[in-house]
Amino acid sequence: MAELLLLIAGGSAAGAFGALLGLGGGVLIVPLLTLGFGLPLREAIGASLVCVIVTSSAAASVYLQRDVANLRLGMTFEMFTALAALAGGLVAFALPDRALALMFAALLLYVAVTMARGRGPELAVKPTSKDAESRAPAPDEGAPGDGLAASLSGPGYRVRNLGRGVLGSLVAGVVSALFGVGGGIVKVPLMNLAMGVPLRVATATSNLMIGVTASAGGLIYLLRGGIDPYVAAPLAVGVFAGASLASRVADRVDLRLLRILFVAMLVVTASQMASKGLP
Amino acid sequence: MKGPRLERSVGLVLAVGSAVSVGLLTLGIVAMGASHIGPLDRPFPRFDPGRIPAELAASEPAGFLWLGLLAVILTPSVRVAASFLGFAASGERRMAAVALVVLAIICLSAILGAGG
Repeated sequence: MAELLLLIAGGSAAGAFGALLGLGGGVLIVPLLTLGFGLPLREAIGASLVCVIVTSSAAASVYLQRDVANLRLGMTFEMFTALAALAGGLVAFALPDRALALMFAALLLYVAVTMARGRGPELAVKPTSKDAESRAPAPDEGAPGDGLAASLSGPGYRVRNLGRGVLGSLVAGVVSALFGVGGGIVKVPLMNLAMGVPLRVATATSNLMIGVTASAGGLIYLLRGGIDPYVAAPLAVGVFAGASLASRVADRVDLRLLRILFVAMLVVTASQMASKGLP
Repeated sequence: MKGPRLERSVGLVLAVGSAVSVGLLTLGIVAMGASHIGPLDRPFPRFDPGRIPAELAASEPAGFLWLGLLAVILTPSVRVAASFLGFAASGERRMAAVALVVLAIICLSAILGAGG
């Protein structure tokens, strides 16, 4: 019973942290399960994918109903994230645990550096009607035309650099299925900085895409015995509760301090994961 | 169905899917507690969709847990299917085709996953 409550509490903490910092929580869940509960890495990744889908579905439902997420852009890129997640899921079962642990440690360091530089997904847990408001188009953006980019653009912004978006989607998909994360850390900066999508729309659209991406990878884990229902269920319910609670108190939290703590925690966790991967 | 109406309908699909999933998982967790099953007990039950109805009828935790996990994993696919219907109804052929491709990839995942 104590383990069950600990898992729910751990999931709640990961969900709250993830929601406050604009992450899916996967970067916290996998180390929690492997280092904290001693679970095999692949089972931890499978459980994390379940949690990532839960948070994505819950958050994306709000973003869609408030017209913040760009459904057409998200679905177009989902073709590539899902395809890459499929490949990533198959590769994950072929890789030795140690290699996976080392790669995960590298991912944690990447996330830590990205967050420290302030380029990670921003807080976007409380979208308002203002989120969908127009921003003035940049001079080079021009008026929407009839092309694909124009059809994927939203009010006040025009999507550009679709090729980079496709490439980033492929990377995000592989990362998601290999490590049990959402991949928002790749997609949000890419959509915002390289493709001209406003930050809140990029965060919301990434959240929408995460569900399908993690679902493609999650199916492989489910059908190959990589998901433990006794672990995944309490963790997912905890993550759902934590993320929901965090969205209500987000305005009262010092995010700068939280970000510093998070980066420090990621660096320590990365070193512990790396030690699991070294001979 | 065009514009924000489609987005809101698709959002509603996700909201319902999330509520159903979390509800089923919560039932499964309560059943785990009642059956004195710990989360780290080994071996954990393997996924076998054919056994879920019998497990549910017997109020076994695994039935609720697997059904909840299936609902979690399939909710995004249902969202894509709903989007396909919306795009097709509004004559957005390109987006309807995109939705079909995404669904096909998810089906391929299931086929390759089951084949391993």
